[in-house]
Amino acid sequence: MTTTDCVLEAIEIRKTFGPFEVLKGVSLEARNHDVISILGSSGSGKSTFLRCLNFLETPTSGSVSLHGQEVEVRNGKPANPRQIEALRRRLGMVFQQFNLWTHRTVLENVMEGPVHVKKEPKAEAREKAEAFLQRVGLAGKTNAYPSQLSGGQQQRVAIARALAMEPDVILFDEPTSALDPELVDEVLKVMQSLAAEGRTMIVVTHEMGFARQVSSETVFLHEGRIVEQGPPDEMFSHPKTEVFERFIAKVK
Amino acid sequence: MLELFSLGDTGWGDEILRGLLVTAQLAVTTLPVGILLGFFAAFASLSRFVPLRALGVGYTTIMRGLPEILTLFVVYNGVGLLLNSLVQWLSPEAGSIDFSPFAAGVIALGMVFGAFAGEVLRGAFNALDRGQIEAGRAIGMTNSQVFWRISLPQVWRFALPGLGNLWINLLKDTALVSVIALDDLMRMTKVAVGVTKQPFTFYLLACLIYWVLSVLSELVLAAMERRANRGVRRA
Amino acid sequence: MNPMDVIVTYWPRLIDGALMTIRLTLLGAFIAALVSPWLALVRVNTATFIQAPIRVYVSFMRGTPLLAQLFLIFYGSGQFRPELEQWGLWDFFRDPFNCAVLAFALNSTAYQTEILRGGILGVPRGEIEAARAVGMTPIQVLRRVVAPHAYRIAWPALGNEVILLMKASALASIVTVFDLMGRTRQVFSRTFDFSVYLWAALIYLCITATFVLLWRFAERRLSPHLSAADSTAAARLAELEARP
Repeated sequence: MTTTDCVLEAIEIRKTFGPFEVLKGVSLEARNHDVISILGSSGSGKSTFLRCLNFLETPTSGSVSLHGQEVEVRNGKPANPRQIEALRRRLGMVFQQFNLWTHRTVLENVMEGPVHVKKEPKAEAREKAEAFLQRVGLAGKTNAYPSQLSGGQQQRVAIARALAMEPDVILFDEPTSALDPELVDEVLKVMQSLAAEGRTMIVVTHEMGFARQVSSETVFLHEGRIVEQGPPDEMFSHPKTEVFERFIAKVK
Repeated sequence: MLELFSLGDTGWGDEILRGLLVTAQLAVTTLPVGILLGFFAAFASLSRFVPLRALGVGYTTIMRGLPEILTLFVVYNGVGLLLNSLVQWLSPEAGSIDFSPFAAGVIALGMVFGAFAGEVLRGAFNALDRGQIEAGRAIGMTNSQVFWRISLPQVWRFALPGLGNLWINLLKDTALVSVIALDDLMRMTKVAVGVTKQPFTFYLLACLIYWVLSVLSELVLAAMERRANRGVRRA
Repeated sequence: MNPMDVIVTYWPRLIDGALMTIRLTLLGAFIAALVSPWLALVRVNTATFIQAPIRVYVSFMRGTPLLAQLFLIFYGSGQFRPELEQWGLWDFFRDPFNCAVLAFALNSTAYQTEILRGGILGVPRGEIEAARAVGMTPIQVLRRVVAPHAYRIAWPALGNEVILLMKASALASIVTVFDLMGRTRQVFSRTFDFSVYLWAALIYLCITATFVLLWRFAERRLSPHLSAADSTAAARLAELEARP
């Protein structure tokens, strides 16, 4: 790595499922305060790529490094599981289906990581968790269970849960795709305010508005490869490839 | 009439209570054995290691297909024979020893419970939401943290109704040990019948006692399920 | 001791016992199958106070050991011998086979009632409304929509219940019916050859396995609309939709 402010770097990530090569060597670099939107149609491999960054999918080959610390993959297996756990502690993740723990309250969901993974004192973690819940506009829901919340509220809890780990980068995997249309905005607003705070984010999304207005960089994935990459305004107004042009036309 | 059920020398109340105590002891001792076997069976049948999986699936399938009373006789007579031949082999001049019917009951009923519990737990593990497990891994939990803090509490919730049914079946199956001469509720009832010549009265009493135990268990289990399901359904 | 010896000598007895086991099971299950649908209908469709006796009956049957129920009928009837003789019923209750069948039928009726109740409740409301909308009478709705649907839903659980009853029928041996378990214990008490129990286990498993196959075959016949081909197509469709 050459630039010093590079936070997360993925090099030549490949992933095959059986006979299908889903990712054919994808590289990406995220610097501090970057908000990178990853676009692509169904089956382009964008979610798989995001999940390779924190090893929820193990890449077939390639490497991921955080602040220059590399997690290497040999023969389709990570060399050291401890390395992966350490990496995940510093990468937040927000899922399409929220994936809140249904057996724990909102507050417990947010405190779980700080208390049991980072081993912070409970009182301190609780204070912080309450602050993060307030941050996403859910201060009043601390003792509710996930099933008592709307989808938008659940996703905001999931964002607070990711924030509570004080991650270096937050990964968003289609965070609004499972939401009813009228609930999308409340989640996008929270994400926008996080971007304004200068958080480093990588977002797989179908929300073109978000990609254009909020992100500092957009990446278009097609059939397992990065086809276009650059500042969103330029990319959207002057698509260089036919596939991306067709993609924009379709989602408009 | 009430005289028959009094506690002193004249009535059978105390004998039947003693039998009830043995029944309760047997059920309570068997439960942890059965649950432990159930976990082993579930882990084995979910294992990726083929011989282990075959063992798990074989155990649960065969055990669930056999009459409980047959299992009980196999354990009682089989282990008894095995123990005796072992003693003979160790010290040929020693007399034959008796295998405790209580131990036979615990082993046999535990094996039966374990086979059914293995299926219940396997289903519960399969019903786990992969996403919630991934969310745990995504914040850097170790595999054992994911198991203890996310999987197990939810497996417990999924498995509770099934395990509750098995507990009630276990309570009822304890009646079988009366056949191998353990002085449980059923056998003490039989003794009372032998003396009083009032079979209907006493067997009805025994049925009513089992019934009360079952209904009480159902009430406790319903309360436990409500507790385990906190927050799962909308309030 | 060679485990083959005992089967070579005693196989006719064991087969005889197995046939008795099958007879006990089928008779008990069949009688229960005749009674339980009516109880299930009452449980679903009537006021609470009419249901109450059925609920108590089901709870009692499910909450007490079958062995105790069997003893209550077989030995308990002796307490009323004069009355039963008067009514001409004593000959029935004197026979352990009859008592076992009665106990199994009463027990299985309770379980089958609950299973069928679940099946009836599982029939989609919309299909019943559709049947009413085309002008079917309540009886027609019951016969042509509710019953086939409810049995289709309940079928696997009913099969399980028959298997449970088959296993439970081994209890008849305790009141001296010579079913498979009874024959097995008889042979063991003569030979002290432990392997006879293992042979019995094998025969029980064969009966269960045969029954499971027959039941599944019947299930496929019962529900051609849910054939394997359709369900794989549905699964593939669901898979396609779930793709990212």
